[in-house]
Order: sequence, then C-alpha cells, then structure tokens
Amino acid sequence: MTRHPTPPGRRNNEGATPSPQLPPAAIEAAAIEKDYGDAPALHPLTLRIEHGQTVALLGHNGSGKTTFIRMAAGLLDPTDGTVTIDGHAPSSIEARTLTSYLADTPVFYDDLSVWEHLEYVARMHGLSDWEQQAADLLDHLGLYARAEELPQRFSRGLRQKAAIAIAFIRPFELLLVDEPFVGLDAAGKEALLALFDQAAADGATVVVATHELSFVNRVQRIVALRDGHLIHDGPPANTDIDALVRTDAVG
Amino acid sequence: MVPVSDTAPAVAPPPATGLAALRDMRAARRHRRVQETEWFEALYRVYLAAIVIGGSVLFISGIFEDTVATTNDISHITEHGPNILGIIVAVAFFLGVRSGASGGPIAVEDAEVRHVLLAPLDIRSALRKPAIQRLRSAAFAGALAGAAAGQLAARRLPGSLGAWAFYGAIYGACVGMVWVGAALLVHGLRLPNTLVTLFASALVFWQAGVTVADTNAPGPFDAFGSMALWALHIEAIDLIAVVITTITALAGIFVVGSLSLEALARRSNLVAQLRFAVTLQDIRTVMLLRRQLSQEQMRATPWLTLKRRGSLPPVARRGVQSFLKFPARRYARMKLMVVLAALAQVAAYRGTTPAIVASGLCLFVFGLELVEPLSQEVDKPERTDSLPIDRGALMLRHLVVPAVMLIPFSVVAIVTALIFEHDGAAIATAAILAPFALATGMAGAVINAVKGAPDPLGDNAKSLFMPPEVAGMTTMTRAVLPIIVATLGSLPVIAVRESVESGNHPVGAAVRACVGVALLLFLVVGWVRQRDAIRLWWKNSVEESQQHKRKTSVST
Repeated sequence: MTRHPTPPGRRNNEGATPSPQLPPAAIEAAAIEKDYGDAPALHPLTLRIEHGQTVALLGHNGSGKTTFIRMAAGLLDPTDGTVTIDGHAPSSIEARTLTSYLADTPVFYDDLSVWEHLEYVARMHGLSDWEQQAADLLDHLGLYARAEELPQRFSRGLRQKAAIAIAFIRPFELLLVDEPFVGLDAAGKEALLALFDQAAADGATVVVATHELSFVNRVQRIVALRDGHLIHDGPPANTDIDALVRTDAVG
Repeated sequence: MVPVSDTAPAVAPPPATGLAALRDMRAARRHRRVQETEWFEALYRVYLAAIVIGGSVLFISGIFEDTVATTNDISHITEHGPNILGIIVAVAFFLGVRSGASGGPIAVEDAEVRHVLLAPLDIRSALRKPAIQRLRSAAFAGALAGAAAGQLAARRLPGSLGAWAFYGAIYGACVGMVWVGAALLVHGLRLPNTLVTLFASALVFWQAGVTVADTNAPGPFDAFGSMALWALHIEAIDLIAVVITTITALAGIFVVGSLSLEALARRSNLVAQLRFAVTLQDIRTVMLLRRQLSQEQMRATPWLTLKRRGSLPPVARRGVQSFLKFPARRYARMKLMVVLAALAQVAAYRGTTPAIVASGLCLFVFGLELVEPLSQEVDKPERTDSLPIDRGALMLRHLVVPAVMLIPFSVVAIVTALIFEHDGAAIATAAILAPFALATGMAGAVINAVKGAPDPLGDNAKSLFMPPEVAGMTTMTRAVLPIIVATLGSLPVIAVRESVESGNHPVGAAVRACVGVALLLFLVVGWVRQRDAIRLWWKNSVEESQQHKRKTSVST
C-alpha cells in the first residue's frame, strides 16, 4: 500500500522526448533535472506547455515547483536536459522579452518608490506610454495612493501587490508565477484573479504554482509534482482537484 | 477593463531604449545616494580607519629598529624576490579561478537580478559597470596594500620610499586585477571547475617549486614579482606582467555577458548581508558569509563516525563532531593561515618587524575557524540559556577541543619555520613559540565570538544612546581588540631576535617571553568564565553609586 493515493489522471511521461515535428511550445522541458549538491530537486522531467494555456502547478513544499519555474525563467540552470521558451533558451533576449516572472518573494530596490519601479521596468521593456497603464494597475490593486512610497517598507501583502503591478506593467506572452496569493487579502486575490483572466483572454500562457483553489478551479490544465517527479498532468475536468490538493497538503 | 499591459505581442525593445532606461535608473539612484550620504559620518569612519590601521603599522614598525639589509641580502632578494613575490600572484590567480568557478566575483543586488537581468537588455552592457567597479576596487585595494608593503621594504632596502611605494602599488594593483580578471574569465567562459582548478594549482606549484628548488628556471609569474622590485633594478621585459594583467581584465569584461544568472541570483542575497556585516565590522559573520558564497558546506558524513554512546562529555563531543565535519578546504585554509603566520614570524625574526602584524592577522583568522563550535553556541543564545549550566562555564568547555586541535597545527607551524631556520636552537625555539602564538590567535577569536554574544545585562541597548565618538570608538575597539590580542602572541619572536643579537641563547628568551603570553591567555580564559559576573558586579556598583548620589542630593 502506498502512502499517498494515486491521483486521478496520472500520466507518467518522465524521460520522454518531445516530438521534433511539433512547433515550439510556450515552454518545452526535455528531461530537465536539477540537484543542489547531494539533494535532487527535480528528477528528469519532460513537459510541454502550449501557447495560450493556463496551467496550475501543484505540489507540496520541496516538490520542485519553484525549481521548475525558476528554470523556465532563466534563474536556474538545469543540471541536465534543456528547457526552451518558444524555442529559445530561457536566458536569451528573445525569451526574456516574452516572459514575465512573478516570484514567491517580492524583491525591490530599497530606494525606489512603487511608481519609479513601474517606470523603469516599463521603459526597460520598451514601453513609452506607461503612465496610464501604471496608474490603472495600481488603482486596480488598491495601491494608487501609495505609489510614491518605498515598497521595501510595505507589509507582506502590499509588497506582493507592488510585485504584481511590476509583473503586469510590461508586455509578455508567458507569465510565470510562484505562490502569488500568499499574503493577499480577499480584494487582492480577486484583483489578481482578474488580471490572470485578462492575460489568458489576451492569449498569454499563464503558469502558476499555487494551492489556491479559486485559481485551480479555472485553469485548463493541472500539473502536479511530488518530490521532483511529475505525478499528474491533465485537464481539471478529469481531475479530483480536492484529492490532489489534500495530497499536496499532507505530503 | 482590467489593465493588463499591451495586447500586442511582446517584442524586444531597441537595445538603446532599454539601456537608456537602465542608465537613467542608475543615475537617479546614484544621485539619491549622494544626497542621503552622511558625509561627516563617512569621513569620520575613514579617519578612524586611517588612525587605527595606518597608525598601528607605523607605530609597530617604529618601535623596533629594522635591520638594514646587507649586500648579500640584497643580491639574495634580487635573485629570489621575483620568485617569492610571484607566488602571491599565483595564489591570487588560483583564488580568482576558484571564485569564478563558484560563481564569483560579481555580486549585484537581488532587485538588479530580478528587474534588470530578466529584462530584454544586453546583459553584457548591464553587467559591464559592476564588473569594472569590481576590477577597480580590487586594483585599488591591491595598490594600497602594495604601497604599504613597499614603504616597509624601503626601511630595509636601498631606493627611495616613493619608488618602493609606487612600484609596490603597481604590483598590488596587478595582483588585484589578475584575481578579478581570472574569476570573470572562468565564470564567463563557464570553464569546468576541476580542469581550471588543476591548471591554477599547477601554476602555483610551478611558481612555488622554482622558489624552493633554488634553480634558474623561470616561474610563470616571475615578471610580476620582478616588477615589484623595480626600486632595485628595472627590467623592461617585466612590463609583460602589465600587458598580461590588462589582457586578462579586458577579456574578463568581454565575457561578462555570459555570467550565470543562477550564480548572480545566489550571490546577490548573501552579498547584501556581507556588506552589512562589513559595515558593523563583524569579522566572524563576514567569514561565515564568505563560506556560503563559495558554497562551502559542512560534510554530510563525518571524517570518522563516533560511537553513539561514547565516553566524551556532551560539550566536548559536540566539538569533536564539529571538527569531524569540517570540509577539507577549511582544513586547507587553516593550514595555509598557520603557514603564512609562520613565514611572517620567520620574516620578523630575520629583521622585518612589522611582519608580526601579518602573523597576528593570519592567526586571528585561523582562530576564527578553530572556535567554530563556540561560535555556533554564541549564535544560538536561546539554546545556551536553556541549559542548566552557567554561560561562562559552558563557553569554557567549548574551548577544550579547539585547544587540543592546536597541537597538530603547531606542528605545521614548527615544520614551516624549520624549512627556513635549520639549527637545533631554532627547533627548540619554534617548538616553544608556536603553541603560544597559535593559542593567542585562538584567544583573539574567542574574544571576538564572546563579545558578539547577546548581552544579558542589556548594555548593547544602552550603546545606542552613546555619543557618536564613544559609539564609534567602542565599535572600533570591539573590532580591533581581538586582533591586537592575536598579535601579542607573535611578539616573543622579536624578544628572541633581540636576545640573539645580544649574544644570548634564544631558548631562554623564548621561555621568558612566553610566560607573559601565558599570563595573557590566563586572563582571557578568566574573562570568558567570569564575564557575566564581572559585568553584573559593575552594573550593580554603578546603580548603587547613582542611588547614593540621588539620596545625597535629596537630603541636601
């Protein structure tokens, strides 16, 4: 008897190689693995996420979600295997143009205000008319009144909102998000869900590592990891999300 | 309408647009930093550092008469100096290669990694400035150290003080740039760790080999060493060292666009902590973070496995467990520090008195590594306070195992000294001096660790209300006192030298001098044991005196 129930829709495709005939996917991971010294974080994982998909990445603490997302964002180098973003290496200028990454821990310059962060990030991504966009985003997140303050001094929830604004101020075709609901109040969660919906409606690929059921319920695909292995990959229609999340919680 | 950015597909901005934004951001931040800088405080810190460091070097080198080199000495230095000074460059190259292989030498802010290096900008352009800053600061620090060493050389060797300091500065700048340039190249080219470490080790052994073997064969870094001695004799061919340094530095800057984002992200957080620790002159934290930066971890499996039910007392057992899990590179570093200290003492014995400062510094760093079990205890005060043992007694027990560990390292020091001084009296003298010198290094480290412990009497909080002059001096004393104590243990070698110059036997002088050192060690041990009691007594005395004053003023 196994300790964990086998989740429905489990598909063991570890180590498989993607078909060479297919056009480049939004994210294509071919047998990627990662270890930190003696500790393996991700076992060979092959995964293809098509353009425009909205994907929830589930897994318990240490299951490899953050490692996968950071590798796709170009912040981690795979120990083995390759990952591409629309056919490009994650650290290439093409991939960085396409990808917006919202990390689990917000990071800011300690001497720049929220508004200044938005200005410089927008301009570094080639936007010239960014002011109205920034004002709308801050207003949507309930942060407009604090635009001139230093986000470094904000509470956890406000810092998260500032980080969300920075992730959405720039154009992107792939949104990589790691535990975005942590610290957000109900209004913040609603605002973020609306932003995800809008991004998906605009054709962006959205990959979110989260335990938040309100988001998991609206995705097109669920990918679950456990101890660095892929244990589930399928649409929510065929998935007992509760079971998966419960497993996730006790795992 | 939800304000998600542009529905148009994301396209890379023209290179100039993004870089202009980056330039504007950096300019705005620089402008703000300049505006917010407390110039008086910054100048005050520079002033204190100049007094303490510069004054100490000049004072100590002025206490004793440096022996002027004879013609024989000068020809010996001309012949072998380039080899010996070349070793320093070889080691700098080795350290640079190791730093590059483990993700160094650049460290940018966490936010810079997240917002700039993940933006569609040319990474080479974005990282060029931090790379140049790193090269510049290493060259500057090297030049300062080289100039200081040059002025010390000028006291014993012919040639003007200015020439020695100038050529020393050029040599030092080259050392710094070789270190950073090599690190950038290895990191940028993603050269395999094992291969480059082997290559750099081979160069170090080659350079050390030609030095020790006393042959005419050239070492790979002789030109650098020869350049440092230009005050004695100028060789135009030595300019090749400057050319090599420049090429290494330029090549390093050229490959900066290929640095690993993973390494930059990992280092960014640690370096912020490191800078904070440096600001507080917290040397032990600086070392701790440097270990993390170079990804040095304790061994998962100890060198030897202790029996589960051993006869050792728990605190001693914890100390032994700690030493059994030290990685090989930490032992290598400790040995290197002891060897360098021994070499410095030999130099002091032969007439270069200020070398005892170098000896003291090396032994202090060695001591910090050695007292790791105690430092770990100090870092977890809540656990210390939960034990039914007096804090002073517990700290003292933590010193037993490190004290035993002094024995093998003393042997290393003695053997190093014997390579240069062969006679029987030298063996006896080194055998007497080495354990005491190493023990004072450890004592300095103990003071540093124990003074870093949280103060149960709450005096740390009071220091926040001290005037800046007093607080500044207190901080400096806290940083410098342990190093002074560590250096005092190296002084007996001067007493031995004076005794030999007066025609007396060195062993007697060594024993007499070491009695003083033993007394110092006894005082440090007593301070560790009774520190809390002394502070409590002092606090009570002050409070009683204040109460008495208040009563007297009320009655009058």
